[in-house]
Amino acid sequence: MSTAAERADQLDLVARLKSAYPELPDAPPPDLLDHDRFTAYMKPVHDVGGEPDAPIKYEDKDYEYWEHMTYVMCEVLAWRGIWLSEERRRMGNVDVGRAVYLGFPYYGRWLLSVARVLVEKHHIGLTELAERMAEVQQRYAGGLAEKALTAEPRFAGDGSQVKRNSHIVHAVGKGDPQVYAGKAAEPKFGVGDAVTVRERPMLFYTRTPEYVRGATGEIAVVAYESPAPEDETWDRPDAKPEWFYVVSFAMADLWHGYTGAATDTLRTEIPERWLQPAR
Amino acid sequence: MTHDHDHDHDRTVKPMVDEITDFEVLEIALRELCIEKGIFTAEEHRRFTEFAEQIGPTPAARLVARAWLDPDFKALAIAEPLAASKEVGVDWLEPTGFGTPSDFTAFQILADTPTVHHVIVCALCSCYPRPILGNSPEWYRTPNYRRRLVRHPRQVLSEFGLYLPESIEVRVQDSNQKNRFMVMPMRPEGADDWTEDQLTEIITRDCLIGVALPRVGVTTNIVVDTRLAMHPSGE
Repeated sequence: MSTAAERADQLDLVARLKSAYPELPDAPPPDLLDHDRFTAYMKPVHDVGGEPDAPIKYEDKDYEYWEHMTYVMCEVLAWRGIWLSEERRRMGNVDVGRAVYLGFPYYGRWLLSVARVLVEKHHIGLTELAERMAEVQQRYAGGLAEKALTAEPRFAGDGSQVKRNSHIVHAVGKGDPQVYAGKAAEPKFGVGDAVTVRERPMLFYTRTPEYVRGATGEIAVVAYESPAPEDETWDRPDAKPEWFYVVSFAMADLWHGYTGAATDTLRTEIPERWLQPAR
Repeated sequence: MTHDHDHDHDRTVKPMVDEITDFEVLEIALRELCIEKGIFTAEEHRRFTEFAEQIGPTPAARLVARAWLDPDFKALAIAEPLAASKEVGVDWLEPTGFGTPSDFTAFQILADTPTVHHVIVCALCSCYPRPILGNSPEWYRTPNYRRRLVRHPRQVLSEFGLYLPESIEVRVQDSNQKNRFMVMPMRPEGADDWTEDQLTEIITRDCLIGVALPRVGVTTNIVVDTRLAMHPSGE
């Protein structure tokens, strides 16, 4: 049991965790929040390309056992039709919010996304998850002391009534995105076409990076058909596939003050709905 | 600040007893509930674990070595990368019948030329050709690498010891949707009579990401300092 002083200390610790503009009060009145700051708050937090940062020492890292097990659990959940990869990418990389996104270890976010999908899709209740966590904690009370980390399910459940997606049926033997081949309209653009990335209102999720929006480039590859990630991430079976393109940009056009060679380029994949013919 | 000591000294969490961490508790609780509810079976979990433990960068290195020796195979690698992967033992549809879900099954090989150097990044997460290259290194997943490579590629490459002249176009591939990319570097000088096995040795993971070039005599990655795990996986 914690003491009142310990609870106060933890509240102090939480109060120092900031992920808001320091010049504004918490929960500001609407007149203080301008469009640029609104856009910044709404920017999906995984979209870090081009944000200012300084060199650090790059290191490798050995896997914690739970990290390896978390990766496996995520993939098995997709294999068994509980979620699409696109749902996992949103839940773990964006829905967690800026503070957790930047504050947690990489696989910590993957693990949170497992809890999130299972609770949101009614596979497990948050109450039973909390109780099971308390039980696991109790099992290891007093420390690991040479005990191995092991899952000890009480029984193996009957999965025949578990709700699963149809992707795992359709994609077998084909793969993804091949499962969507032939389902989009004719591609609007061809290799060499000049295209501008659209700028439009944005909420919750996209995989079109902010740093290319408004920029003009050239179609390098007409790549594959797939639903747009903004729809696929909520597993909408009616989302119509569209063409995706690898678009090439001159670095000097993308970045103000680019100091590399004039011929340097960047390529990234963009779905058709984000592109318009360059004027 | 120097880091002469072991890695433990700067950890926030340094328990007196070896306590189970919050992440470990959550992972075990979720796995138990999934098995009890039949969401997946222990056997399916074990099968994927075994699959994940045998992937690594060797097939990708062999693919490039073979392409250096055989122009027909190089043409296949560029035109039909999934078919070329099979030739070095990697079936992208394994182990589920539709691939490793997070990696999708759209693979492209980017061949360097005397005037173009490729380097890959995923600015949104950590997209990486895991089935043929194994798990990505920790630094590849850092917000730091992702933020900077798309904007300051030459500076970041210089931090790996790679300095490219202005006559070479640096082509950054930001892999952010369903395509997965790997770089096919050019064959270095001084390896003219080498066998496929010898060439495979010098095609490191870093070369296949594009932060290094193959060199005769160099068989290790650039970054070698490794942070130890508290409770390592059995790999």
